[in-house]
Amino acid sequence: MIADPLARLTEELAALDRAYSRGHHGRWSAGRRSDLFDAALVALFSAGDAPPGVALAALGGYGRRQQLPRSDVDLLVVHDGRRLDDVAALVDRVLYPLWDVGLEVGQAVRTPDECASIATERLDAATAMLDLRYLAGDEGLAAEAGAHVRAGVSADPAGFVARLRDGAAARADRYGSTAHLLEPELKEGAGGLRDIQTIAWVGAAVEGVSLRDRERAALDAAEEFLIRVRSALHLETGRRTDRLVLDHQPSIAREMGFIDEPRLIAEDGLMRAVFEHARQVSRILADVRARASDDGEAEGHAVAPIEGAVGVLEALAEVSEAGAPASPRLLDAIEAAEVPDPVDWSPEVRAAFLGLLRTGAPAAHALDTLDRLGLLARYLPAWTAVRCRPQRDPYHRFTVDTHLTTALTGMATMLTAPDPDDPMEHDAVTEMSDADALLLGALLHDIGKTGAGGHVAIGARIADETLASMRLPAATRELASFMVSHHLLLPDTATRRDLTDEDLIMGVAATIGTPERLGALYLLAKADAAATGPAAWTPWRRALVRELVTKVRRVFDRGEMGAELAERLTDRIGRLRDLLEREPDDEVERFVMRMPRGYFLSVEPVRAARHYATIAPDIGRHDVRSVAADGSRPGMYELLVVAADRPGLLSWIAGALAVAGLSILSAQVFTTVDGVAVDLFEVEGAFEPEVGERRWREFRRTLRGAIEGAISLDRRVEDKRRHYPPPDPAVPVTIAVANDASDFSTVIEVGAPDRLGLLYDVTSALADLQLDVRVAKVATYTGRVIDAFYVRDAIGGKVTDPAQVAEIETSVRARLEG
Amino acid sequence: MKLVTAIVKPHRVDEVKEVLRDLGVQGLTTTDVEGFGRQRGHTEVYRGAEYQVDFVPKVKLEVLVADGDVQGVVDAIVKAARTGKIGDGKLWVTEAEQVIRIRTGEMGPDAV
Repeated sequence: MIADPLARLTEELAALDRAYSRGHHGRWSAGRRSDLFDAALVALFSAGDAPPGVALAALGGYGRRQQLPRSDVDLLVVHDGRRLDDVAALVDRVLYPLWDVGLEVGQAVRTPDECASIATERLDAATAMLDLRYLAGDEGLAAEAGAHVRAGVSADPAGFVARLRDGAAARADRYGSTAHLLEPELKEGAGGLRDIQTIAWVGAAVEGVSLRDRERAALDAAEEFLIRVRSALHLETGRRTDRLVLDHQPSIAREMGFIDEPRLIAEDGLMRAVFEHARQVSRILADVRARASDDGEAEGHAVAPIEGAVGVLEALAEVSEAGAPASPRLLDAIEAAEVPDPVDWSPEVRAAFLGLLRTGAPAAHALDTLDRLGLLARYLPAWTAVRCRPQRDPYHRFTVDTHLTTALTGMATMLTAPDPDDPMEHDAVTEMSDADALLLGALLHDIGKTGAGGHVAIGARIADETLASMRLPAATRELASFMVSHHLLLPDTATRRDLTDEDLIMGVAATIGTPERLGALYLLAKADAAATGPAAWTPWRRALVRELVTKVRRVFDRGEMGAELAERLTDRIGRLRDLLEREPDDEVERFVMRMPRGYFLSVEPVRAARHYATIAPDIGRHDVRSVAADGSRPGMYELLVVAADRPGLLSWIAGALAVAGLSILSAQVFTTVDGVAVDLFEVEGAFEPEVGERRWREFRRTLRGAIEGAISLDRRVEDKRRHYPPPDPAVPVTIAVANDASDFSTVIEVGAPDRLGLLYDVTSALADLQLDVRVAKVATYTGRVIDAFYVRDAIGGKVTDPAQVAEIETSVRARLEG
Repeated sequence: MKLVTAIVKPHRVDEVKEVLRDLGVQGLTTTDVEGFGRQRGHTEVYRGAEYQVDFVPKVKLEVLVADGDVQGVVDAIVKAARTGKIGDGKLWVTEAEQVIRIRTGEMGPDAV
């Protein structure tokens, strides 16, 4: 037998905490805990001589007999104002021992009149005192205090409801939503325990506001569940913690008996249950508030019956657009409407649904309402898998379904009012011909987050099915589906790949195909990031995504890639694969991945297939491979040279060709991703049309000698030149250096009279300037040559320094005129 | 104890992470940062509209290493982060006076 009430209290509290698993401390446990405090406090109060005219009462959660494991014990000492010193002594006697054993006690000392006045000043004090419960002392005085507070509330019920509404809004602002945040606040968040209490307070203040049976049952279940989670959190952390952070979710899920299920791990199951309960609470609170502020006049107006799947959408669009919450009668009417499961997407349903999506934020609200009534899944069966589903990554703040409706809202906002400071957004919106596709793409982009992994591929499949069932126009379906299957392309490429890699940009442009699709992906990237959380669209990410979009856009604008070219590219690579079907698949794949897109666009599949054997095998640092074949006309030859790329290589090849007496009619220079030069020439004999094996041998020998540094090409080209006619002096030498023609290279255009070794002269001048020729376009007209060279400097950038640009002009000119 | 700090191009981070993992480095902190070095900012032109890019996006890496492992880690980062082009970034090594693993209270090399 323990005599000391405090020793007994602490022992019994500890025993209660241990009595069963942490996940099962619901209302019964909270009630039992309250009883334990009651017994101790009554004993302490009565231990000495309690002065007359004083009462001890419980407030707030303790007053409701919902004392959670680590919550404050809220006490009120009511007194009649006559014996202040005695009251102070009593408070010391009752409270000090509680503090001494480490209990968190909140206390207030007031007269009944003070109770009334403080209740009008502070909402939290008023609501705490609405739950006042007598513990010890002068019972009549405690009752008086309670009556004063309740009288103040019932004198102005509308005012009190308004204060509760403002209080709830302030809490929602500060703590966020318990129904959508991945780390929800269980007590103060919107949809949390405080909202459940708020519903009770509204009911107590306003006559005639009653709950439907279903609502009562839902609140009852939500309260029990949320109290259990919150108690478990208190017991796990050992203190009053009300935010359920990711770290604690797995252990609390286990304590509460959740287990891993297919596609839903235990902690996700816990969180889904939290979100579902909290959503019920939020919605019932909104309804109850609407009922409480009903002036009664509307009571007589019945809402007209709602007709089917179309009527439901139209009714929701109407109220949502007016900015009003759906009235309970409207909800009843919607519930009474016959909506087939699944909905048949007639043209009328489709028009109504798309019309709703276009409203933006109201649409998100309307979809939420549909969801609460259990109707959304009839329109979009795929929604079931993402409903209330948590996502466990450091960026996301919301559940999957809320993320999707938030992205939809963001997209609709951009479509109606594009950001004037973002030219890409502006272009994307004004050039967009299919706003419906954008809205659907935003709504469905993460529909593949079903817990089965690989959400992009799964989402593309689900989106295809969903869009097909909606029977949308083919163009809308294709664009929306493309958005879903490629929604990570821009952000992933921008942050993880080298944006100075031209072939990468060409590849992205080929995948995207059109400026309209590029715009759609950009808008989706923005809406997606904004709906994810503050860390997803930082200036850092924005700068990278914009750089990528700018470059891809210029590729489209210059016609270097577009829908037609992208199609040709796909088609050509497909045909090439067919032609190479006898080769090992992985080798062919490696060949396709290594070669730049420009190669496949300019070399038809039959020739590429022929090149395969020369290009595909690995090449050593000093190796050089060359193959000559018949050209497009008799007397012309195609020459393929493959070697490890290095500064000067092109000039050596050009020089060796000149030495062998071969004229270059055209040249194409490609570089593989792993730094192998693939140079393709069309050549003819400078004098005799037939080029025999002896000349090719001479070319190979000279090139090898040049690469090894064993011979001087300058002298040999000069020797050779003496045997050929001099250039036409009437043709002028022109040199133009342009930096706006490409994002990756400086373009040098050279016009000059044709002569043997011209390409050697230009490219060796460029090599002397440490310039790397990435692409060369060589064309010969009668007596005149126009060449374009795409060059980069030694560190891979464009040549932008005016002094260097001038140096290019003088060096090349000196070489050609000298 | 040394703190190795490196500023690298975003698209080299995965590569760096991999080589450090191969070296047995246990932990790495990355931060998205923006700044300029010799690369400076630049003016981007998007369809005729100019906009100024004052700072270039980079990633800052921080690794705590025991004195004996510094050179290996430094070499690995430099090799993995290099593209040979402008803006490859910088790396520096500073003395870390104290290192404590918060969970266990382990100190010095044990905490790395």
